[in-house]
Amino acid sequence: MHSDTRSTPTSSTSTRLADFIGGARSTVPWLFGIAPFGLVIGVSAARADIPLFAGWLTGPLIFAGSAQVATIELLDTHTAAVVVVIAALAINLRLVLYSASMARYWHEMPRWWQAFAAFLLIDPSLAVGADGYDTISDRRRAHRHYLGGAITLFVVWVLAITIGATAGSRLPSGLQLEMVIPLFLTGEVVHRLRDKPTTCAAVAAAVVAVLATPVPLHLGPIVAIAAGVAVGLYMDRRDQ
Amino acid sequence: MNAYVVVIAVGLLSYAFRVSMLVLAARRGLPPVFERAARFAVPTAFAGLVAGSLVTSASAGRAVAPVLAVAAAAFAVRRTGSPHMALLAGMPVLWAVTAVVAH
Repeated sequence: MHSDTRSTPTSSTSTRLADFIGGARSTVPWLFGIAPFGLVIGVSAARADIPLFAGWLTGPLIFAGSAQVATIELLDTHTAAVVVVIAALAINLRLVLYSASMARYWHEMPRWWQAFAAFLLIDPSLAVGADGYDTISDRRRAHRHYLGGAITLFVVWVLAITIGATAGSRLPSGLQLEMVIPLFLTGEVVHRLRDKPTTCAAVAAAVVAVLATPVPLHLGPIVAIAAGVAVGLYMDRRDQ
Repeated sequence: MNAYVVVIAVGLLSYAFRVSMLVLAARRGLPPVFERAARFAVPTAFAGLVAGSLVTSASAGRAVAPVLAVAAAAFAVRRTGSPHMALLAGMPVLWAVTAVVAH
């Protein structure tokens, strides 16, 4: 599907750019949900009882919407610092699995590249990256595809938070744009249900996520992921 | 000052999560169970997040439209094989059902 990378310097440069742009393009559907979410976080950072710059800093430093919301909300209610950190990290614990997911693709890359790519690792960049590694046979081109998507995501995310924090934009609530992300995630899940173990894993995670809603410290998502992965591994072993 | 310390701590530790398995893989290679588990990370994480958002919608007193929108999105993606159909099918259903319920 994709050509070999042994080409002239000019075409090599244009190919690199095309790979990068391809990744950025794959991220566009995510941006419809992410930009309003970023705006809302920016607005809530501006309204919270914390320094505006500290609220804004959650964007480039934490770069994970749910954990940012938890951090800002808990700081706003003067929750103990340790509790805020634990709650945010509980939400972000899934990043360990995301890291494991990408380690198999990135292990041959230089450490500086891995360090940079990992900094940009979050749900949408994982989805765009995983799609790229599944469909692009040339690993170097898939790496550029990932970076194109992840950098675009980061820039739009920080920009949206900045606009929200400074301009305090009001989003039309009638559009219910907060549902864009769950719907997009639905597409990404259903698209991946290609075998029985994966289907069982996803269903188990969804059921446990509902049951685990009352679990304190926002630990529900990580409990759901753990349950889903356990079911997937069990089904995988049983089918072999 | 405290807010800055918290934000920086969460940022640094989140980054540690992001690089954790890369570092482990470089030193020892990933344990086989992680290799097998990794392929379930995306579908389980995303399914859990969707279910969690539906629970949040339900607790806010509006469950019907989001649930039907997610069902329409799943059906459309299943039928077409294109993940982008989720938004194209789900958002109109969400708006239509919300309008019907409101009347």
